[in-house]
Amino acid sequence: MHPFDIKTVLFAKHSQHVVLIHFPIALFIIGVLFDFLAQWKKQRLLAAAAYYNLLVAAIATVPVVVTGILAWQWELEGQKLKGILLMHLVMGCLSTVLIWVVWFIHTRTRRKQQEVLPGYRLPIEAVAVVIVALTGHLGGFLSGVNGPG
Amino acid sequence: MRRSVSIAGLAAALVLGIGVWGTGQKGSVTSAQEKMSTMEVRIDNFSFGPVALTVPVGTTVIWTNRDDIPHTVVSTDDPKTFKSKVLDTDEKFSFSFSKAGTYPYFCSIHPKMTGKVIVQ
Repeated sequence: MHPFDIKTVLFAKHSQHVVLIHFPIALFIIGVLFDFLAQWKKQRLLAAAAYYNLLVAAIATVPVVVTGILAWQWELEGQKLKGILLMHLVMGCLSTVLIWVVWFIHTRTRRKQQEVLPGYRLPIEAVAVVIVALTGHLGGFLSGVNGPG
Repeated sequence: MRRSVSIAGLAAALVLGIGVWGTGQKGSVTSAQEKMSTMEVRIDNFSFGPVALTVPVGTTVIWTNRDDIPHTVVSTDDPKTFKSKVLDTDEKFSFSFSKAGTYPYFCSIHPKMTGKVIVQ
């Protein structure tokens, strides 16, 4: 096992995908929470906090997707997935798209210098949180967080 | 005439009986040989059981995934001596060990899951 081998770095005992995934999950959920609070309290500061959390969440999905696909290609040699692994892959891709869509809605409003964010974003954000949570649940199930050791 | 028929009947019954007995014996010998040449490793609760399995040369080891989670069986050497596809619940992977040695392996999805086969 070479310490500077890229596969070793990415998969040495703990796949980096499993580590990195916590960043977009946490940032996105807290971003949506801030957005709902901003909508309710009509506070710009909360809206700004929501925006930056959603921005970093979207950026954080990139290494997560890359390490997830690399784990599939290198560890499982890109074999055809089925069952929980396939479900996790599909829901992970869907989660990523939804996180970027939510960020895009926010950033477009800011660019247009509109005061009010569109109301339809809220159900999209709620659905995205559910999908992200389900993906994380499947990932936790796969990684064996409830297993021994 | 009647006597020769009954002798023939007895002989036929004897031959049939020996045949059935012989088949039974052969079957039990075959199953004993099969038992000798295959060993099973059970994958359950994120572990291989037994963790270390000692077998004679020529044994086929069968790994069966009894867990709810997919697992793989991959030897740690390079190039890989054996590597399974992803095994879902109740799926099996087998490998025949033709050379003596120690063969450590792990699950590539859960690298903390390790085991070894000692071939003597």
